[in-house]
Amino acid sequence: MSFAQTIVENVLRLAEEKKAKKVRGVVIELGELLLINPEQLEFCFQVASHGTIAEGAELELKFTKPVIECLMCGKKYSEPIAICECGGIIKVEGGKDMLIRRVEMEV
Amino acid sequence: MHRIEVDAEIDLFEVNKRLAAENREFLKKNGVTAINIMGATGSGKTLLIEKTADTLSDGVRMGAILGDVVGKADYERVARHGVKAEAINTGKECHLDAHLIHHAIEKFDDVDLLFMENVGNLICPVDFDLGEDYRVVIVSVTEGDDVVEKHPEIFRLADVIIINKVALADAVEADVDKMISDARRLNARAKVIKMDLKNNTGFDEWIEWLQEVIGGMC
Ligand SMILES: Nc1nc2c(ncn2[C@@H]2O[C@H](COP(=O)(O)OP(=O)(O)O)[C@@H](O)[C@H]2O)c(=O)[nH]1
Ligand SMILES: [Mg+2]
Ligand SMILES: [Zn+2]
Ligand SMILES: [Zn+2]
Repeated sequence: MSFAQTIVENVLRLAEEKKAKKVRGVVIELGELLLINPEQLEFCFQVASHGTIAEGAELELKFTKPVIECLMCGKKYSEPIAICECGGIIKVEGGKDMLIRRVEMEV
Repeated sequence: MHRIEVDAEIDLFEVNKRLAAENREFLKKNGVTAINIMGATGSGKTLLIEKTADTLSDGVRMGAILGDVVGKADYERVARHGVKAEAINTGKECHLDAHLIHHAIEKFDDVDLLFMENVGNLICPVDFDLGEDYRVVIVSVTEGDDVVEKHPEIFRLADVIIINKVALADAVEADVDKMISDARRLNARAKVIKMDLKNNTGFDEWIEWLQEVIGGMC
């Protein structure tokens, strides 16, 4: 719930800056490694935005992938693992951020 | 009325990141080594802190911040051991965050070692840096021997992984070796300790690690 609340707070702050009357849509970019269930986030967003000008806004979620690669041979993986086939240590970068990318509103 | 689209780059973790950095700076300035202890409710977090308080030499000044959904039970347990302690109730939030810690750490400027017991949860604490130096994840065999593989993210960021209550493994038919190999597979860098807080298995190893990291910071 705290993610949805943070999204709503930030969207409302931006809407106020732009003197918007209604928020229609929000685009969120979120890292896959946050392991967020989209349906749950959408539901919590509905609850958190209830009674505000963001109520009913469409939430669009764009997932970003982490870069997972071996520090020794450079081989890339799609799933985080600890050790590469070559014995090298794997570096996991990104995939843990959450950003508001765009807000559509009526002014 | 007309429709506008505003491009933004609002980092929803920005506030937490900034406060965690401030916490880290405060702790460093005061020579405090801070350890975030994470694990499910009942895994043994509070008992680990209590036993550590009784074992460490008097030369080490210890403090503890106890995060819990409600109540002060853990705070009272730890304070009884002569540890400077502070309770944080998170209410509906299922994790500590850097902001809650920010308010609590001020009184710990005179300790050498500060434990932060996180809320019992293996999911949400992962995303919230508190400004700690080290992260310890403790799980017990009674949570089932698949608990490690089911929560990869938290084990990946741990510096120490403790498999606790190993003396109960046979009774609950848990495969301790599987838990240990899961932990190693997810995180080659972490120290993995097989522990039982009731019969002291692995406890020396824990104290040795602690002394290493406290010593290293001075
Ligand atoms: N048998 C056994 N019980 C333990 C062990 N470690 C903790 N406990 C017990 O498990 C319960 C939960 O421990 P506690 O420290 O409160 O867990 P927390 O919720 O993670 O803080 C308590 O009754 C402890 O005495 C252990 O290694 N073996
Ligand atoms: Mg506890
Ligand atoms: Zn490799
Ligand atoms: Zn949660």
